[in-house]
Amino acid sequence: MLSERKELNEYPPLAEPRTVRLRFCKRGALQYISHLDLQRTFARILARAELPLWYTQGFNPHPKIVFGLPLPVGSESVCELVDIRIERDMPCGEILERLHAATTPELDFTECYVPERKFADIASAEYKIHIDAAVPSDEIACAIKTVLTTSPLKMMKRSKSGEKEVDIIPFIKSADAVPDGTGYTLNVLLSAGSTDNLNPEYVVSALRQRLLLLRSGEEYSVMRLRVCLENGEEFR
Amino acid sequence: MFSCSQLKSVSKPGRYAGGEFGQIIKDKEKVAARFAFCFPDSYEIGMSNLGMRILYGVLNQADDVWCERVFSPWKDMEERMRADGVPLCAHESGDPVRDFDFLGFTLQYEMCYTNVLNVLDLAGMPLYAAERDDTYPIVIGGGPCAYNPEPIADFFDLFNIGEGEEMLPEIVRLYIKMKEKGATKAEFLIEAARTIPGVYVPSLYDVTYNSDGTVKAYTPKYEGVPAKVTKRIVKDLDKMFFPEAVVMPYIECVQDRIMLEVFRGCIRGCRFCQAGMIYRPVREKSPETLLRQAKCLYENTGYEEISLTSLSISDYTRLHELTDGLIEWTNEKKVNLSLPSLRVDSFSRELMDKVASVRASSITFAPEAGTQRLRDVINKNVTEEDLMRSAGIAFGSGKEQVKLYFMNGLPTETYEDLDGIAALAKATVEQFYATPNHGKRPPQVTISVSCFVPKPFTPFQWEAQDTVETLEEKNRYIGTRVTDRKIRYTHHDARVSHIEAVLALGDRRLAPALVKAHEEGFEFDAWDEYFSYEKWMSVFAAAGIDTAFYANRRRDKDEVLPWDIIDCGVTKSFLWREREKAYGETTTPSCREKCSGCGANCLGGKDICCPNAKN
Repeated sequence: MLSERKELNEYPPLAEPRTVRLRFCKRGALQYISHLDLQRTFARILARAELPLWYTQGFNPHPKIVFGLPLPVGSESVCELVDIRIERDMPCGEILERLHAATTPELDFTECYVPERKFADIASAEYKIHIDAAVPSDEIACAIKTVLTTSPLKMMKRSKSGEKEVDIIPFIKSADAVPDGTGYTLNVLLSAGSTDNLNPEYVVSALRQRLLLLRSGEEYSVMRLRVCLENGEEFR
Repeated sequence: MFSCSQLKSVSKPGRYAGGEFGQIIKDKEKVAARFAFCFPDSYEIGMSNLGMRILYGVLNQADDVWCERVFSPWKDMEERMRADGVPLCAHESGDPVRDFDFLGFTLQYEMCYTNVLNVLDLAGMPLYAAERDDTYPIVIGGGPCAYNPEPIADFFDLFNIGEGEEMLPEIVRLYIKMKEKGATKAEFLIEAARTIPGVYVPSLYDVTYNSDGTVKAYTPKYEGVPAKVTKRIVKDLDKMFFPEAVVMPYIECVQDRIMLEVFRGCIRGCRFCQAGMIYRPVREKSPETLLRQAKCLYENTGYEEISLTSLSISDYTRLHELTDGLIEWTNEKKVNLSLPSLRVDSFSRELMDKVASVRASSITFAPEAGTQRLRDVINKNVTEEDLMRSAGIAFGSGKEQVKLYFMNGLPTETYEDLDGIAALAKATVEQFYATPNHGKRPPQVTISVSCFVPKPFTPFQWEAQDTVETLEEKNRYIGTRVTDRKIRYTHHDARVSHIEAVLALGDRRLAPALVKAHEEGFEFDAWDEYFSYEKWMSVFAAAGIDTAFYANRRRDKDEVLPWDIIDCGVTKSFLWREREKAYGETTTPSCREKCSGCGANCLGGKDICCPNAKN
């Protein structure tokens, strides 16, 4: 398969390196891989895919790989974004095809395009959280919504300056919960990005503490569905 | 298979999650044999092992065999597993190890033995082979520690002696054939011992002991079972299976790079070194093969570094051809070359420039002993001049840090030799200032001293290890001799080395002590934070074992050694001759200069360097 590929020098060089944005999922076993490990893995995926990467021109040349919004360990995602830079005019379809062959379905690439917006425009992220419960009820679903919308909801939050108690309600832009056959499905929109950011694990912890959910070894799962702009539109 | 809540509750869940690029998944309904291949240590250590990568690929070549990986769960996960009643499962399928046809262990160091027992226990299997009926997997051991498997012989059904690339598939094939015919485990084991060279089935031998505690004899219980098991080797490395695609760990491992095995064996014959003896005869791969494999591995892994691995890489006869061929494409792809072990007598500026990585600020040499006299005793065959020349090259090209490896407690060692260690470090510092164009920052010379452990199949296999007290005193003494702040001194824990010696030189009577150690919760003994000397000594005492009998006793020439059941090619008479030469402070030339008649050429091998080799 590798030998059927065109050689890289068959693609015309670009006058300026081009940034392309890749959208990928991170599911199943991959949810347990930390952001740091993902970064190292990415360099190897890009090498396996044999893309015409542009290298930094310094003393220690390396490809430019910039992630949109790090995903916490224990969360899955269908909307991860990463920017890479290429120095030859390889079509996006070809890039996707090469990446596809270099990775597993749990870390697969779904889109490749030239971006218009900067990652700094990311303001929030939408998550689906599923919490297992033996006997789900409408009352508890309502209580979940109430907990996640009533200020103050004080939680011990870790930050660079240490651990302190903060009200996390300002970081929860919307929250909904419905009971289903196996528990509760929550849909939450949380602050995301470099200024305000809330890890969905705090939402789960809050419910564990306030509503005594997940107290008998029940499972829960978190899935990032999309990242959004300040106005709630999907970020691309 | 672990649940989400189990994975979310432990450190580094990526160790257990699986799903790596390159892992091999098969339909379990369609395979005839399932093989659980265990590295009995953490995932990060196990995934760094080249042997496991090779054998995983070899076994999975057959469509009807599925080999999966197994590692020791870290302590936090083990606690979770025991609390939740989850048995140990294989990495790929998440199916319980207990339901497999085989459970194979690669035995890379003695201090993993308690982990082996813990893996058996976590899998829900009785520890003693005799207590496992035909429904349990057949437990196989291999790797360097299998050259004296006796301390753990009672826990294993079968050992692979030597290289497994050919032997292991033969064992699995025979098993499939006999299983179809409804044979019992006992019948399979006897047939394997009789027909597959390199197979050692400990239960097929009676072991008797003399009144002084030494071994009297090994007697096969059945006709056709070999009186001595001869090591297997792969004769032609160019034709040998080599994995051109590997499983890519997501989490950082100890060896997280392409490992390109250039040759097997070593021409040197250092008298303390087990690897230098048991992997003989020397067999090389051709640069053509290596260049093809390296390119292929890069395309399939995307690793940013290629490490040329072999015992003494600069002894490869066509090293320049190989490095030149690699550099043709590695520079362009920004792939670094690294060489793990460098001998000071063959180190050159040219070689260093090729492997220079801008990031590596330090370079390591292993003089092993502090004086020329002792280096001659151990047949290291390097001089202080070699070391100074090599350090000069390193300093002259901008490096400021040099690491020097030594051993203490070597046979015939005196305090003068220990003074020599400190003196050599000091001379290295002086070499820095004597080197034109040395770096601007002051030099840092690190001396790392380990304790000599006598190993089977070495000229020093008859030697007594220094007592823990003596070794500790020597460690302290070296510390007092190091006064320069530019010299950093570290040493190994003598107490670990003592236990290591007992397990390396032991016999079958150690088994009850190991079981007791397991029952007391010993594991991860290779990790400083979990090793407890006091607990080990109390376990041995409780089992009635005098550790000094194994570690601190000099053996007679004619004593039957527990590992005499194994024939590793190198003869006992050669090893004794080498021992005598050690005491005469006489060196032995390398295999390339002159054949010393070690005996390993009887095993054959293509293009080996022994002039008398049978091809």
